[in-house]
Amino acid sequence: MTMWKGRLSGWATGEDRRREFEEVALVHLGAIYRSALRLTNNRAEAEDLTQDTCLRAFRGFHRFDPGTNCRAWLFTILRNAFRDRLRRRHHELLDTESADWDGETPSVTSEGMARHPEEEFFLTALPGDVDRALRALPLPFREVVMLSDLEQLSYKEIAEVVGCPIGTVMSRLSRGRALLRQALGRFAREQGYVKESP
Amino acid sequence: MNCTELESRLHPYVDGELGVDDMAAADDHITGCPGCRGRVARERQFLQFLRQQPRESAPEALRELIRVQLVRSARWTAVRRWSAVSVAAMIVAAALLPALRSSTPLVSELVDKHIAFAQMEQPAELVSADRHTVEAWFRERVALRVTVVDYSMSGIRVIGARIAEARERPASYVLYEKGHIPLSVFMVPVKEAEGDLWGKRVTYRGHEYVTLERKGYRTVSWTEGRAIFGLVSMLDYDALLECADKLRAERARQAPL
Repeated sequence: MTMWKGRLSGWATGEDRRREFEEVALVHLGAIYRSALRLTNNRAEAEDLTQDTCLRAFRGFHRFDPGTNCRAWLFTILRNAFRDRLRRRHHELLDTESADWDGETPSVTSEGMARHPEEEFFLTALPGDVDRALRALPLPFREVVMLSDLEQLSYKEIAEVVGCPIGTVMSRLSRGRALLRQALGRFAREQGYVKESP
Repeated sequence: MNCTELESRLHPYVDGELGVDDMAAADDHITGCPGCRGRVARERQFLQFLRQQPRESAPEALRELIRVQLVRSARWTAVRRWSAVSVAAMIVAAALLPALRSSTPLVSELVDKHIAFAQMEQPAELVSADRHTVEAWFRERVALRVTVVDYSMSGIRVIGARIAEARERPASYVLYEKGHIPLSVFMVPVKEAEGDLWGKRVTYRGHEYVTLERKGYRTVSWTEGRAIFGLVSMLDYDALLECADKLRAERARQAPL
């Protein structure tokens, strides 16, 4: 018995295709929306981007290979849709930006490297702190941390979504996590939960 | 491996993404180095913390809006296709689809279990990283010869086990983790007639498996005698098939047919 999709998708009506799309892809709507929110930092724009992503995915659904990760495929579409928007608004810095960042990063202090055992923000972080910290990360780091730690993609899948080698995913991830941790430590101090290091 | 080398591989290590040799070398180093052990534990704690963040779902109004747009878009697709595809073929498709869709596959049930367990604070009834302990635990509880394979060379750790229920009878459930991604391995006793699996047949290293994606999770399943084995995870099919192959080989080794 083969999966009916493989045999019949060529004949299936638009309605069948839609139903299949809902079953396979639209179950990830929450993940798309959350990621859109993290990319745009704006609810209205995130909703718009989510719609755009879903429609693009539906139109290109025949190109989706059922043996692969549908979420990763959707993230790729989301990322492209997002970048198209930025480009339309003349944010041409995108690619050069990420290239620079692989060489030089916003500095990570020893605190970001988590050498101190007193990181207690795990216990005191307020709801929304992680998203706030994430929003402060430059895009190339934000997307990698988001895909790995919040959406649980593998390095290989992230490399495919982001279109870079696995080695780059690793280095962005380790810097991104360090920066995120640093920001969370800062919030905790601002909120008075964690004392300044002596 | 020394401390500096471990530091440079820390993230792929905790994510279970190191190669076999590096993984073993890192394990060795950590066993003998309390400093690095603490460093790894803190990193795992941080990732755990990130993973536990509440997940916002899409607003209901947005979901509805997208559904409406899809229906509209699907109608256009249908109109275009009607002109290109013969009516006879459409009738065949319409006749086949309901039959193929009607049965609820066992695998869907396993995916639901996987999701439910993943949301529990303590998914395992028995928490143990030792496969022999887990196997012995099952021997006392279920009438199944449960095999727990050591996947540590692929960066996959045993977390524990529980008795799950599938098809209204007890099944074994072994929980693994690769980095932060859970992997569930189920073994469900079946009657002979129930051995048929639903999905796409693939051959891996000379054996046949069935793959199926449900709710965003990938599954690999196969029948062995009167049991169905099912692996459920977000890991990719290559990783799942490799685990399936090892499990099948290990069982063949334990009890040659």
